[in-house]
Parts: sequence; C-alpha cells; structure tokens
Amino acid sequence: MPKYAMTIDLARCMGCRACMVACKVENNTPEEQFWMYVFRLEEGEFPDTRLTFLPRPCQHCDNAPCVKVCPVGARYKREDGIVLTDFQRCIGCRYCEVACPYGVNYFHWKSPKKGQYLNWNKDAEVKERGNGETPPWHNPDHDRRYGEERRLTAGAVHYKGVMGKCTFCVHRVEKGLEPACVANCPVRVFEFGDLEDPESTVSRKLRESNRFRLLEDVGTEPRVFYLNGQPPTSEHRQLDAVKGGKKG
Amino acid sequence: MSIQARTLRDTGVGRWGPLSVAAGAALLAIVAVGIAAYSQQLIHGEVVTGLRDWGTQGGSPWGLYIAFVVYFIGVSFAGISIAALVRLLRIEALQPITRMAELLTIVSLVLGAFSVLADLGQPLRGITNLFRYARPQSPFFGTFSLVMAGYLFASLVYFYLAGRRDAYLLAQEPSRLQWFYRWWAAGYRDTPAQRARHERTSFLLAIAILPLLVTAHSTLGLVFGLMGGRPGWFSALQAPGFVVLAGVSGLGHIAVMAALVRWLLPSTREQIRPATFRLLGIFLMVLGMIYLYFTLIEVLTAGYAAHEREQELVALLLWGTYAPYFWAGTVGLGAAVTIGLVQGLRGSWNIGAVVAMGILVNIAAIAKRLIIVTPSLTHGSLLPYGHGVYIPTWVEVAIIVGLMSLGALAILAFSKLFPIVPLESEHAS
Repeated sequence: MPKYAMTIDLARCMGCRACMVACKVENNTPEEQFWMYVFRLEEGEFPDTRLTFLPRPCQHCDNAPCVKVCPVGARYKREDGIVLTDFQRCIGCRYCEVACPYGVNYFHWKSPKKGQYLNWNKDAEVKERGNGETPPWHNPDHDRRYGEERRLTAGAVHYKGVMGKCTFCVHRVEKGLEPACVANCPVRVFEFGDLEDPESTVSRKLRESNRFRLLEDVGTEPRVFYLNGQPPTSEHRQLDAVKGGKKG
Repeated sequence: MSIQARTLRDTGVGRWGPLSVAAGAALLAIVAVGIAAYSQQLIHGEVVTGLRDWGTQGGSPWGLYIAFVVYFIGVSFAGISIAALVRLLRIEALQPITRMAELLTIVSLVLGAFSVLADLGQPLRGITNLFRYARPQSPFFGTFSLVMAGYLFASLVYFYLAGRRDAYLLAQEPSRLQWFYRWWAAGYRDTPAQRARHERTSFLLAIAILPLLVTAHSTLGLVFGLMGGRPGWFSALQAPGFVVLAGVSGLGHIAVMAALVRWLLPSTREQIRPATFRLLGIFLMVLGMIYLYFTLIEVLTAGYAAHEREQELVALLLWGTYAPYFWAGTVGLGAAVTIGLVQGLRGSWNIGAVVAMGILVNIAAIAKRLIIVTPSLTHGSLLPYGHGVYIPTWVEVAIIVGLMSLGALAILAFSKLFPIVPLESEHAS
C-alpha cells in the first residue's frame, strides 16, 4: 500500500496561481471555491517588504480533525493517506469545516449547476472540437467509485448541501496520474508520490531539503510538506485575496 | 375523591377564550412564515442564509442555527433540574411548576432537534445517517444520543408518569377528552399502594436522569471545547460553562413561564406562591454568579499571555466587532445577579423582579451563544486569511422565530388539553 504525500517547494513558487485554475478545471468546483489556494503574502514595512507565496491544498492529515469529528463517517482517510468525503453519506453539518484549522473545506451552498463555466450545448466551438458531438459537461471519472470502499468521492458538484475539498485528484491518482495542480505547475513547485518508496521524488526531496508542515503545533500531522521556506507568521499580510462569496 | 368542577374549569383546560385564540392565531402565522423561509432554504440550498465558508470566502459556516441549537437545548435544563430538586431534595414549593418545567424541557429539546435539521445541508440524510453510521468518536454523537434520545426519552417518560394521577382525576368527569385522560391514566387509580409505587418510581427515575443533566449539556460544550485548531473554542471551561449557562437560561425561562401562568390562570395563585419565585430567584442568582466568574476566568486566561489569536479574539469581544453581544451578555447577567442580591439582602423576593431576572438572563444567554459560535470562525484563523463577516438573513431569523412560536404554540395547546399546574385534591398532603 503506497503512502501518498505532497511536497511544495516554496523557493520555486512565484504565485501565478495556475494550480488554482488547474484544480478548478479538473474538479469542476463551484464558483468562489478553491480546493487549491495560493496565499500571496507580504511582510515588513515599505520599503523593506518581502513577498512570499504559499500554496494551500488540503493537508491530508494523518491525525485529521475533520475525520475525527464527522458524525457519520462521511469524511474518512484511506489507507494510502488520502482524506476524502463520501458525497452520498455527508449530511452537511459542516463540523469538518469548523474543526479544520487550514480552511480547506468548501460547502456546496447551492444546487450544482451543469456546465457552470461554459454552455456546452450552445457553444459551436465545443461541438466542432468534439467532432460534432457534445462532450460531457464534466469529467465522467468523477462519477466512478474509487478505492476498496467504492465510495463516491471524486470531483465537485454532485449534490447541494454536502462538503467538498481537495481529493488529491483521487480519480487521477487511481489512474497513475499526478494531481492536476502538480501536473500543471509551470515551475514544478509540487511533487506527489509515495513515502514508502525511498526512491520516489517526494522521499528524495524530503531527505534533501529544509522542510516544515503547516501549523505543526496543532498536532494534525499533515501529509503535505513545505520545502525551502518559512511557515507564515502573524507578520504576514495577505495581498489580493480572492473575493469572498458574500454576494452569493 | 372527585375534584370540584370549579377546579377543572379554572385550569383553563378545554377553554379557548378570545385571548388564547388570538395568541394561537398569531403564533400560527409566525410558524407559517418560518415554514415559508425553510422551504426557500430547501429549494435553493443554504445559499439563502448568511452562512458561508470561512477562509477564502470570508464567512462563517455556523451561525444562528447552531447558536439556537445550543440555546434551545440549554433551556431544556429546566425540567430535569426542577423535577430532580423536587423529588430528591423534597422542595415542595417547586412542586406546582414541575409539569410546566418538564413540558418546557420536551418542547425545547424538540426545537433543538429542529434547529439541527435547519442547519444541515442534507436534512433527510441527517435523520437516517446519524443513526445508521453513528460514530461515538464525534463530539456530535452526544448531541444525538444523550441529548436528543436519552434526555428527551427520559423526560417524556417522566412527564407521562407524573401526569397519571391528574389524568385519573380528570377521567372521573365526563368531558370530550375523557378517553384521552383514561388512556393517560392507564389503570392508575391513586390507591395508597399505587401512590407509594409511583413515588418510588419517580424517585428512582429522578436519580437515573440526574447525571444526564451534567453529561448532556457537557457534550454540547465539548462540540466546541475539543476543537484544538480553533482559538476561542479550545477550552476546558467550555463544558462546565455550557452546563451552568443552560441552568441559567432554563430556570430563567421557567420563572417567566410560571409568572405568566399565574397571571393568566388566577386559580393557580394558591399553588404557585411567592416562595416558588424566591427559590427560582436564588438558583438564578447563584448560577449567574458562577457564570460571571467563568467569564472572568476565560477572559483572563485568553487575554493575559495566551496565543496571539486568543488575545485578538478577547479584544474583539471586549471592544471589537462582537463587543455589543459580549456586553449585552455580561451586563444582562450582571444586572440579573444584582437584582437577586438586592432582594436577597432585603430578605423579600418580588415576583416581578424574578421575572425581570428571567428575561435578562435569557437575553444574556442568547447573546452568549452567538459569541460562542461565530467569532472563532470569522476571526479565529491560524493561517493568514482575511477576517470574515457573518450577518444572518431573513430566512435564518424567520426559521428561528418560527421555531420559538412553534414551541409557544405547543405549550399553549397542551395547556388546553391538560392542567399545566398539577391538580390539588383534599388528600394531597
């Protein structure tokens, strides 16, 4: 059984947020929801300021508070370490969201909208590219059931009133592919792989680099490791935060 | 052994006067608005509420609904505590308000359950999955097992058993509800042997459900207190604080209710005496003092040399965004305690003053519940997210007010079916 982990090389990140876009396209997440998010942080006083960037996927914690508090076991951790939500079991109490110190959970506040970013049926270009056929409005892999448990866990917008979050792109990992953020980063900030395998890139990078995990003192034991950087402090101010969803 | 006709008529049972009809109609109208609001939420999802994700969305995923889950379940403290005090400590002055206290417990527990359902994104799944896939490791488990199942069930049993004597007395007289009273009495005839057995059962039941008083309200506190990653919540004081504040709001509620019943049904004035209110006032004062002490310790612990975020949250409560709620809660409780102290020192307890205490502590309790839930979610992030905002929408307010009206309606309707104050008869000594 592999033991999946992710490394994020902060020395490489330039804050382009391509991973956020890749994640949205891959997982079809609703508007205003970012399963992958990149903090653009500033510290110091002008003119002595410094910019840093901090990508924030789900940390897939070994001691995950969200898994602990879920009253129905909809949030669970697979043996390979991926923390997932069973969209068919979730009752929408949002306890996982308040228990998580990383703010990675996003609730489906409204009904899922088919083709939310593009009207597949009316767009002539889409048909043309699909050789006259309309492609499905979302990745059919999202509807498959994965892992020993065979539970519906991949992608977003299955139901309203349930919780969603980063799945490490379980539907891609099951096929032997990397998560979308990893595959789409132009400067290879992310590595994804098996900690059990000493020759994997993540294992090698973890041996060779300075590393930290986010909010280590909360005791969550994340599977996401940050390399060559510093954890954020209260001196960090967030620049151009994405606009919140207060307008609905 | 028959009760006089006067007594039965004066209990208000079966009589819908113009005041009751008007009150009932008004409450029904408010409930209807609540149902309309909830249907909006069912159709469109919780996007119609002011709730949003914390973090990048800058909202609060828990708000009014959860605050009122906690408040309603807190109010339910009244029934068990008064029943237990009467049975175990033999405090006779509280005897006349046992039934309304038990009723309040049952009604408020049901309202608490409804508030949970209002909060759920998938309410139907909630009803099935919470039982099918129950996980005792989740702090929520206590809310559904101990509170909703154990506490509610025990209260219903207690309520039913304690009402059998009156049901038997009422079944002696012809009335449209005779079948109902006969069914409730279920063979009980108030013979000395039966009465002795009834006393013993009630006593044992009171002992059995007394631990629920502490455990049930504690589990609710643990829902918040166990969250290590949430500054402002993670505290060992959370569970005892919940128990005490539950007592404050529950007893405050029952004081107001007892005064209302006494005012509306003159025949009960002989039973619900000033001594009843004196006791309620004393309990309220003592519990209020304990809670104020907890507040002080909490503020001191989090504000002195704690984690940065804890300090920020304390500042937010003391003079920031949430200061109006914090001070409404603290000053409300402080005023109630002061009213109690003045009366205690003067040695005379005034019914109006105790009612004022009851109203003050309930306003305080609601304010406190709100600031337990939201500040940590909007301002308690350990990562450099921006601060959040939470403003409830009309849907949330309408649902909560609708639930309150539903509760009042249920109590009103019950009082027309059954005497809300236990009957007295010649040989009840």
